[in-house]
Amino acid sequence: MAAQKDRYQNRTEILQGTLDMLILQTLQWAPRHGYALSKAIRTNSGEVLKVDTGSLYPALHRLERKGWIAAEWKKSELGPRLRVYRLTRSGRKQLLSERSRWETLMEAIAGVLHPSAQGRKESES
Amino acid sequence: MKFLWRGRNRRNKELHEEIQAHLTLAECDEMESGRTRNEAQVAARREFGNVSIAEETTRDMWGSRWLADFFQDVRYAVRTLRKSPGFTAVAILTLALGIGANTAIFSVVQAVVLAPLPYRDADRLVMVWENNPRFPRVWVSHPNFLDWQRTARSFEQMAAYWEKGVDLTAPGAPEHLTGKEISSAFFSTLGLELALGREFSREEDRHSGTPVAIISNRLWRNRFAASPEVLGHSVTLNGVDYSIVGVTPPGFRLEHDADVYVPLGQSDPMVLNNRASHAISSFARLRVGVNPSQAQAEMTALQNALDQLYPDDNRDLGIYIEPLKQEIVGDVSGTLLLLLGAVGLVLLIACTNVANLVLARSTARAREFAVRTALGANRARLVQQLLTENVLLSLAGAGLGLLIASAGIRSVLAVAPELLPRSENIRVNAPVLLFTLGVSITVGILFGLAPALKSWNADPQSSLKQGGRGATSAHHRAQSCLVIVQMALTLILLASAGLLLRTIRHLWEVNPGFDTQHLITFRVGVSRSLTKTASSTRIAYQQLIDRIRQIPGVQAADFTDVVLLSSQGYTLPFWIGARKPASLQAAPRVAGFLTGPDYLKTMGIPLLRGRFFTAEDTTKSPCVFVVDSVLAQKYFPDSDPIGQTVSVGFAPMGPCQIVGVVGHVKLWGLRDPGIAPQNQLYVSLYQDPDQWVPSNYPDTKVMIRTPLDLSALLSAIKNAASASGTDQPVYDVQTMQHIVSESMSSQRFPMLLLGSFACLALLLASVGIYGLISYSVTQRVHEIGIRTALGAEKQNILRLVLGQGLRLALVGLAIGAVAALALTRLLSSFSNLLYGVSANDPATFVSVSLLLTAVAILACYFPARRAAKVDPIIALRYE
Repeated sequence: MAAQKDRYQNRTEILQGTLDMLILQTLQWAPRHGYALSKAIRTNSGEVLKVDTGSLYPALHRLERKGWIAAEWKKSELGPRLRVYRLTRSGRKQLLSERSRWETLMEAIAGVLHPSAQGRKESES
Repeated sequence: MKFLWRGRNRRNKELHEEIQAHLTLAECDEMESGRTRNEAQVAARREFGNVSIAEETTRDMWGSRWLADFFQDVRYAVRTLRKSPGFTAVAILTLALGIGANTAIFSVVQAVVLAPLPYRDADRLVMVWENNPRFPRVWVSHPNFLDWQRTARSFEQMAAYWEKGVDLTAPGAPEHLTGKEISSAFFSTLGLELALGREFSREEDRHSGTPVAIISNRLWRNRFAASPEVLGHSVTLNGVDYSIVGVTPPGFRLEHDADVYVPLGQSDPMVLNNRASHAISSFARLRVGVNPSQAQAEMTALQNALDQLYPDDNRDLGIYIEPLKQEIVGDVSGTLLLLLGAVGLVLLIACTNVANLVLARSTARAREFAVRTALGANRARLVQQLLTENVLLSLAGAGLGLLIASAGIRSVLAVAPELLPRSENIRVNAPVLLFTLGVSITVGILFGLAPALKSWNADPQSSLKQGGRGATSAHHRAQSCLVIVQMALTLILLASAGLLLRTIRHLWEVNPGFDTQHLITFRVGVSRSLTKTASSTRIAYQQLIDRIRQIPGVQAADFTDVVLLSSQGYTLPFWIGARKPASLQAAPRVAGFLTGPDYLKTMGIPLLRGRFFTAEDTTKSPCVFVVDSVLAQKYFPDSDPIGQTVSVGFAPMGPCQIVGVVGHVKLWGLRDPGIAPQNQLYVSLYQDPDQWVPSNYPDTKVMIRTPLDLSALLSAIKNAASASGTDQPVYDVQTMQHIVSESMSSQRFPMLLLGSFACLALLLASVGIYGLISYSVTQRVHEIGIRTALGAEKQNILRLVLGQGLRLALVGLAIGAVAALALTRLLSSFSNLLYGVSANDPATFVSVSLLLTAVAILACYFPARRAAKVDPIIALRYE
């Protein structure tokens, strides 16, 4: 039991505001339903990022309302109907802009964390 | 709304399904990693977290939170209202009465005043009248009209008509029909397509043209079974066979109803070709881009030129152009708008009543709101919810109100003046529904606002502490204010109704100058076979009246061309002696009567000097006139009028000798005549010159004096009329009493409506004050108990409670009296409704104030008696 508890605690809550980007990114290659999506994010992050289901579904419905993803009901071999989400054209654009924003942010944070490295870079050029 | 509901329900289900699928998949994964089903289920759920919160927050993402709240509020409101059926029923009923009365009056205003005329580009249609120094508008002379038609450039088209009833004798039973003689282009000027056939050509619209007729849609259905083959069939009108060439569209009516239309140009040339004879109405369609005042300017110039060409007939004649709609709607629009204002006051009273109920209820609900606020409900949401509840109430009221309105419209029409224009269009239609919807939403917000704001300010802590009895004094003040407002509004309505009631009473007391009791009037369509020449016509009419005089029970009978008090009078220029004045248009006017010798006796008009006509006053004897006392005093103040000579008319008759002076009679109406002339002059029917007989005789009415009932006499009258041939219809049968009462309809109609509004207001206001006082008695049971325990007498308690109600009533009365003084002035100014009472008539004000006070005391008495019966022990234990 103890080991399991640790496993949960070791997972990191997803940073506010990045969930949208992660969802869009994860849907980029194939349409997925909610459960698959949360599993994919967890696996792709090496079991580090845990998607809180309490925010996943609101996020999915919000993105759908904004037109960045579209949903469709599909039969599954397991039995229940599944609501499958796919990225739309405007979702793809949104993903690009979110990614570039994210990368700018990452660079900025990296600059703060490693000021020398940043300075060196500048002097080289 | 239902549709939205369903959509939302479906999405809710789908969301649930989506999340359940998530759980199932997670469960399968857990089972694959080697757990039992139960363990897997628990793990999946724990991993997921709170399902219902997830669903809830997801739903929030669907947007239109507002809409969701709204639906929630509606559901909640329906539930709360259902829980207090008494309150809901009273509130809905009160609102239904207020909204229903408003809807009914608005549908009248809409149909009569607001709706456009049902013609193409109706705002380009104008009436073209002539005028002269004596009257702002007079009928048009036909030769002048023809000259305008040829030369005026402001108009696309012009048309003319006059009202001319006809006797239809074939096919079918003889019947008198309303009719018009119309010029060619009558319908095309209006921009109206006939239902069948065509209108008259120019060739038909002239003397000795082919006799052709257009019949009304009603006649076509009733007499010709709506047969499409009716065109070319013939109808016998006034003894001449006319061939039907057209049928009007259903419901068509210009001013007065008409069943038969025949060409104006074929009418009596004596009248038509006489430039001095003003008898027709004319209207025109303005050219695009020409406004009425430009047309007025052009026509005035044109008329001036005509005046120069024909100085004898036209001197001082001008032009008056007015929009057709104004002519048709006439002066009722003022009265109707006044009524709309009055009924608005009733709605205000209903609103204050419901506001009071809601206030009283919100006191009881203060605890509920306090709890909800304490639990974190935001105040804006609470107010939104309260407003939803109220709008829901008023919409329910509006629904019921529409039923009341359609019953109301029927009763309004029942008391409406017979000639209320366009009344056939009055119904609940789309604009009326919109009005009702708008009113009910406004009303819901209006009466909901006060309590809602109150709850806004309420401090939840104090409410919770006091266990729901908090804020009573603040509520009480608000409720008292509302009752005062009700009293004030009710007084305004009562005072207005009272003033009109007194006006009617004054009118009944006016001496009309003749005996209105036991008088009956009717018309007989004398067969055209008997009226080929002037002398045969005279004989036919003489024989007819002789037969009528022989009917048992008929005390006296004779002909007249004008029935008093029924807006039939006409005026003629007149002058003393033989010297004709330079301008007939500017000459003094006299109201003319063409009567038989027994007219005076039949009507009960007193003979003051000289003699009235006798059977010997014929075309073969010297012509004589009889004048009334007003003319005699004005023009012969110091000399004897008998023996003097007078001439009269545009085509002058006379000079003739005055042989008698009779009492003045009320002709135009019982109230002051305004610009209508007071002078009256009688011409003997049997001295009417030959050339005028064909148009004057068929226009006469029979007056008979009899103590018998109309119904008892009617068949005898019909027998007497048809004794000389079966094709003589009897029509326009009326008692003088009916005519007198109808002459007051422009006062009676608003009086009846204002009276019923005032009664409604009185009822609502007494319910209002009753509600407030009994509520306050309930609230003060404890206090009253202590007072009684301390030795207060029943009398004292009674006085205490009554005093509270009376104070409110008196403050309301004082405010209402001030407002009423200002508002009743309106009554006397713009609608010209009052007669014989001033707008601030003290007797009216005192009596309606007393009435209102008495009703208020009565309404307070019941709760006061209950208060006096309070048993102190029970009252104190109850705490």
